[in-house]
Amino acid sequence: MSNFDERAKEVFHKRTEQETIGLQDEIWNGLEKELFSEEKVNRGEVQTMKKKNRLIPILITTAAALIIAFSLQTDTGMAFMKGIKDIFVPEKEITQSIEGQDEKTDVNLNEGTNSQYIIYVDETRYKMIKSDKADVITTIEPLPEKYPEVTMEIRQVTDQKPVDLVKQIEVELKEEFPELRAVEAVTEPVEGYLLYGLNGSDWDAKVVQAYVISNGKEGSYIITENYFLEAAEGHGARFHYMLESFEIVE
Amino acid sequence: MEMKELIRNIQAGDKNSFRELYEAYADYAIRTASAITRNREMAKDAVQETFIRVYRQIGSYNPELPFEPWFYRILMNECLRYLKKESALSKFEHPDLENDPSLAEESFDHLSDLYDTIQSLDDMHRIPIILKYVRGFTEKEIAEILGLNHNTVKSRLFKGRKRLKEQLDPIDKEEGPQ
Repeated sequence: MSNFDERAKEVFHKRTEQETIGLQDEIWNGLEKELFSEEKVNRGEVQTMKKKNRLIPILITTAAALIIAFSLQTDTGMAFMKGIKDIFVPEKEITQSIEGQDEKTDVNLNEGTNSQYIIYVDETRYKMIKSDKADVITTIEPLPEKYPEVTMEIRQVTDQKPVDLVKQIEVELKEEFPELRAVEAVTEPVEGYLLYGLNGSDWDAKVVQAYVISNGKEGSYIITENYFLEAAEGHGARFHYMLESFEIVE
Repeated sequence: MEMKELIRNIQAGDKNSFRELYEAYADYAIRTASAITRNREMAKDAVQETFIRVYRQIGSYNPELPFEPWFYRILMNECLRYLKKESALSKFEHPDLENDPSLAEESFDHLSDLYDTIQSLDDMHRIPIILKYVRGFTEKEIAEILGLNHNTVKSRLFKGRKRLKEQLDPIDKEEGPQ
């Protein structure tokens, strides 16, 4: 190390030490107030509540919207879709943190097959392809061949609860991802079980991130994100933000 | 605790793990923010906001990737946001180093001159230098944190150091062997 480097290092060390005395505790106190002041003893309960009751207000709002819509219009065959559009704005702007930087993005309302759920999709980058088996959100333009798959698939299984289904999905994913992480219960971006697998450490190593969540009845939704390691902070983060807007509306 | 495990615990909402992460990263984050913002209060706000963002956005972080570049990108954005906010209030106003009471009390020794000279550089050259000497980041890491090309960082560091040497040279000569 040159003399200049040593001096520069020394001067920064001395000056920043003088100027920041006591800040570490002050900042932590601020963080406690901001992040944990209303925290209950069992934080898990607080977080779980956040999404657990999501379905009920939506059902109430949906019902209210439909009643209003029916009373205003004589067309009794009005589509259920109209009800959904009454509740959710068709387009909104969200702020998402991509690679550590805040980015304002317009997202558009999309309904899943049979309008059983909604999700806001960043349609400047992705499109939603619907089918009877599953809906898939993927890049508008297909990626060049050298890149692994980038998709987020949303599939409903109507007759298996998440707690049962997750074991089956774990076995299936372990075939391609032998080092699949142990199943975790999560509350964000959706409430359910998370399965995370990574296939290597190269830039193009495949990543799978699957959520198994309740469909509000006796079944489940499996939401599977596929991307690659280098795209974790890009596509991975964008999928995360899109998934935060996922709501079951039936 | 291993970093990946720590992150996973925070993702699951564990406060003690978050505290552990804070203890590990706060010191250098505060020093860096203080050097960049040149203002104690601003540094405090920028670091606090950074950790709030880390806590709330940890779900979007991939524990398989190094944590520090992700963390410092957030910190840089916060510091720059506060600097921008301040410059909007007092446009074109630079910190008055000569009348800064904390500096007036000090003897203007060689190291202080070096510090003040670094701080008088434009942000383009000043910030990479701070990242290099406060936390000891490599050029590659600085490029990653600032979202710049590796060669751009190399060139900015080179030019910044060259300017510093030019400005400090007369001092060196004055204080050199008599």
